[in-house]
Amino acid sequence: MSITLTIDGQSVQAEEGQTVLEVAKRAGVTIPTLCYHPALEPLGACRLCVVEVIQRGRSQIVTSCTMPAEPGMEVRTSTPAVMESRRTVLELLLSRCPNVPVIQQLAAQYGVTEPPFEADDPNEKCILCGLCVRACNDLVGAHVLNFSDRGISRVIGPAFMEKTRDCIGCGACTIVCPTGAIEIVLEKEALYAAKPLGPASAIYVPFLQAVPRVPVIDTDACIRFRQQARTNGELADACGVCQLLCEARAIDYTQQDEELDIEVGAVVVATGFADFDPYLAPQYSFGKSPNIITGIEFERLSNSGGPTEGEILTAEGVPPKSVAILHCVGSRDKHTNKYCSRVCCMYALKQAHLVRDKTGADVFEFYMDIRAPGKSYEEFYERVQEEGVHFIRGKGAEVTVQPDGKLLVKGEDADLSRVVAVSVDMVILGTGMTAQPDAAEVSHLFGIGCGNEGFFTEAHPKLRPVETNTDGVYLAGTCQGPRDVPDTVAHANAAAAEVLALLTKGEVVISPATAEVNRDKCVGCGDCIPVCPYTAIARVDGKAQVNAALCKGCGTCVATCPSGAIEALHFTDEQIVAQIEGVLKWV
Amino acid sequence: MVEYRADVLVGCEHGEHPDLVGALKAEIERRNLGAEINVVETGCRGFCAMGPILLIEPEGIIYCAVKAADIPEVVEETLVKGRVVERLAYQEPVTHQRICHYEDIPFYHKQMRLVLRNCGMVDPRSIEEYIASGGYSALEKVLTTMTPDEVIQAITVSGLRGRGGAGFPTGRKWSSTKHAHGECRYIVANGDEGDPGAFMDRSMMEGDPYAILEGMTIGAYAIENVREGYIYVRDEYPLAVENLRLAIERATEMGLLGDHILGSDFSFHIKIVRGAGAFVCGESSALMQSLEGSVGEPRPKHVHATESGLWGQPTALNNVETWANVPLIINMGAGEYAKIGTTNSKGTKAFCLVGKVRHTGLIEVPMGMTLREIVYDIGGGPQEGREIKAIQTGGPSGGCIPSHLLDLPVDYESLAEVGSMMGSGGMIVMDDTNCMVDVARYFLDFLKDESCGKCTPCREGIKRMLDILTKIVTGNGEMSDLDKLERIARTVQRASLCALGKTSPNPVLSTLRYYRDEYEAHILQKRCPAGVCRDLITYNILEAKCTGCGRCLRNCPRKAITGERRKLHVIDQALCIKCGICKENCVFDAIEVS
Repeated sequence: MSITLTIDGQSVQAEEGQTVLEVAKRAGVTIPTLCYHPALEPLGACRLCVVEVIQRGRSQIVTSCTMPAEPGMEVRTSTPAVMESRRTVLELLLSRCPNVPVIQQLAAQYGVTEPPFEADDPNEKCILCGLCVRACNDLVGAHVLNFSDRGISRVIGPAFMEKTRDCIGCGACTIVCPTGAIEIVLEKEALYAAKPLGPASAIYVPFLQAVPRVPVIDTDACIRFRQQARTNGELADACGVCQLLCEARAIDYTQQDEELDIEVGAVVVATGFADFDPYLAPQYSFGKSPNIITGIEFERLSNSGGPTEGEILTAEGVPPKSVAILHCVGSRDKHTNKYCSRVCCMYALKQAHLVRDKTGADVFEFYMDIRAPGKSYEEFYERVQEEGVHFIRGKGAEVTVQPDGKLLVKGEDADLSRVVAVSVDMVILGTGMTAQPDAAEVSHLFGIGCGNEGFFTEAHPKLRPVETNTDGVYLAGTCQGPRDVPDTVAHANAAAAEVLALLTKGEVVISPATAEVNRDKCVGCGDCIPVCPYTAIARVDGKAQVNAALCKGCGTCVATCPSGAIEALHFTDEQIVAQIEGVLKWV
Repeated sequence: MVEYRADVLVGCEHGEHPDLVGALKAEIERRNLGAEINVVETGCRGFCAMGPILLIEPEGIIYCAVKAADIPEVVEETLVKGRVVERLAYQEPVTHQRICHYEDIPFYHKQMRLVLRNCGMVDPRSIEEYIASGGYSALEKVLTTMTPDEVIQAITVSGLRGRGGAGFPTGRKWSSTKHAHGECRYIVANGDEGDPGAFMDRSMMEGDPYAILEGMTIGAYAIENVREGYIYVRDEYPLAVENLRLAIERATEMGLLGDHILGSDFSFHIKIVRGAGAFVCGESSALMQSLEGSVGEPRPKHVHATESGLWGQPTALNNVETWANVPLIINMGAGEYAKIGTTNSKGTKAFCLVGKVRHTGLIEVPMGMTLREIVYDIGGGPQEGREIKAIQTGGPSGGCIPSHLLDLPVDYESLAEVGSMMGSGGMIVMDDTNCMVDVARYFLDFLKDESCGKCTPCREGIKRMLDILTKIVTGNGEMSDLDKLERIARTVQRASLCALGKTSPNPVLSTLRYYRDEYEAHILQKRCPAGVCRDLITYNILEAKCTGCGRCLRNCPRKAITGERRKLHVIDQALCIKCGICKENCVFDAIEVS
């Protein structure tokens, strides 16, 4: 039911059950608050959101966050009494927490620039608004934080102010805290544990250009799913903030992964690559120290959205003084991959540049030769050389973790013909590209070829670089072979163009020479299905059936069929025999 | 039933002389008078200044300040020979006349003891004594002759208002509880009295617990669909808890509580919930939170407890004194009751008269009696040579009423008008030795710890007002501090969440209003006119009066006094901590505070 009330002389509509603050916000009237959060029950603690409410001829000063809107109510948000109250409350808060920017700014808006009283503790940040308490208890259900003591001695913390295992480290309290008074302190050993450089939030868009651009919930990070798992389903309704705040009501916790059957005219296989598994090159001691990271992990570390907000830090939380970057990890090596991954040299150079730029650390690049072909690449290489990066020509041979935690990198400097060893704080492994581990499965699925390295084979390396031997299936990007971003984009554009060319034609011309099953003879043994390189045969009603659009008429199935039920059209036994007879007539 | 020739009522059993009853019983036993004379341990008789008190019935003889050593004489003279022991009788302070019958003592004479009628007159542990003095006749009348609506009607007509301090009409509260929608309804008695110097509720719970139970039972009948009631008592009142517990047990045994009360279909149970002594739990919403087992913190009251209180159900919460008034109204008749008091404040009110008066104690007066009558006639006026300066009512939430307003009638509206409040009944009399700035500071210091700390103005505001007052009493105040003080006080009053916060600046605002000159003396002249604030006073020995007896020298804890015997003694100001012990000990009045 809709109700009407007046806010600062302006008539506004409200839903029953809404608070004055909610109505005012909708009407564009600003009311300052510190202890309010739309996802939490209002507490009415900070008293900043006070307004004057005139009802049934009675005027009173109330907190708008707790006051339910009622029909005919007259609300005034900036009377002298209201302004004086807010100002005094801000004076009191600023005197409590003189160094909190949020309060400083808010106080300045009300003309308070200096705290009128001396603070007991100038570093105090907590204003006891109770948002964290409500989030921890009402939303997360972890029941870790609460108030203790009373009056001026009131504090917030876990029971008896002791460390507790009940804290699930969800960080909900830090998110709702208006003054930044809560920090999550990770214990050292936990810092780089499990998924050190994983997603920063439990809800994220899977990748930047995702279509449709719909966020997903990481159930391992989501408070609700974590609490559900932790309590064996007993606590099923923890958090739920996203659902509460989503105006489109698009959040559905019951959604499960599902398989969709879609009929399409063409498929572009763009399954990408996998990072080389650094454990396969044990000489580099990956996993033995948190400061030995892969190139991809470095990207996350250096990203402003990453765990350190873009600061390059070691696991000890300090900027490294020296960094070694090892090229060709898992590439150009007969023990791992023989091929060159093409991108590692350039990204290693970029990372060397970033480390120099952000930390000024000494950088040592261990390389066999720098592969910088193409526009501007060589120039970049030269620039990095000028930035003072030490280039050591010779593949990094071994990384060992020293007792003091430092990392000793050994290699051969081919220019000097001697063994070198440097002690560094961080090692970045320039891991190469490998095919996806399930590439063989995918290749079977689409009937496309797969090389020894696992990359899919194109129909022709020069003339048909995006097509496959299966009509309508195209390749794009690194699933076909290592390539960098510009090459990938070009490759993908080519695939898209091929697809468009196919689809705009409207019809497909196929060769009349296809295989055909004689259903009378077919016993449904299915031997023909796996041998077909084009996945053109399927079992329909217990018998084999050839999809003429896919069949290339290669005849493998014809030769395989034990009951002679498959014939290759235009190459039937009779036709072949007749041809042979025709040829032999002249003999 | 055994009949006795005489009853000896001992009302201060838990005072400083717990051996009084034992001594009395032993003496009676020794003289083999056990069959004739009955010793009754009663609740508080209220005349604290004169305690321990012995009342001998049926003669109505009162003995004051009785010690165990006096017992043999009392038994010998009064109980055996029928003579009055003059030296133990009350002595009128001005005429020095001895008064031996308690009704003749001005302290009792002017009072109207209705709610407190049984306190100090019956054994609070005996339901029989309560019934014998007319108890449970109101419940019987209600259950047999009145409908629930008629009971509410009677309470409404009587004009009874909440005795906890706010003065909300009780009839209206019951009626809205009754008409609110809920699965069931609850009633609660607030016995969380926490004001410094107040003990009315305690005396009632200890001295006449059945009246409270009876009042609640009548309330439960009237409001209907009330199966359970709660009495919230602070655990610092162990005797109150004990007596109430016993009373509930006995009343249940007698069929006056529990299932099928007096054989009717009406059932009602009462439970005691012990509070942990937080002042804020006297606030209704905090009390109910505490009852529910949560931390006692007030919540915004946009929905009244009568609609959604305890466990979200309609709840009628009244002070124990309000409940104790209920049987009285039923017995007297609402019309008769309404004749007592003023137009808007009906009935009587119990007060704890304490501070700088001769006769401190628990009193009950009709509404509308003037402060002067209370302080001078009942309280016996100021101590010798002193002058009354102010009356503080309403505890930390109330204000100080200056002496020129002594003719103010005591009722809800008049007190609020002058910046104080009725409160639950604390009444502290102050004389010219009280510094009003220090008084305001004292109450803020109390509230600083008792505020729950939930909302900013109350938590931080009280602290900062206290900071300013501390600055002033230590001689560091500035005139601008007064404006600051007033501004914070106004905001705390306006913007705090609950009544505790909203009323917390009252001691400051009322003293600023009436005693601004004292504040200014502290700030401008760095002088405490009352000679209280230690940083602003010095103790000096007057040459003219000092005899050199050495008493001050011996008692000084800091050895700050020097002087030879029979010669003038001197206080070393550098060592003096201004404790005042020398002044207390000087028999020649030779120590001056300046």
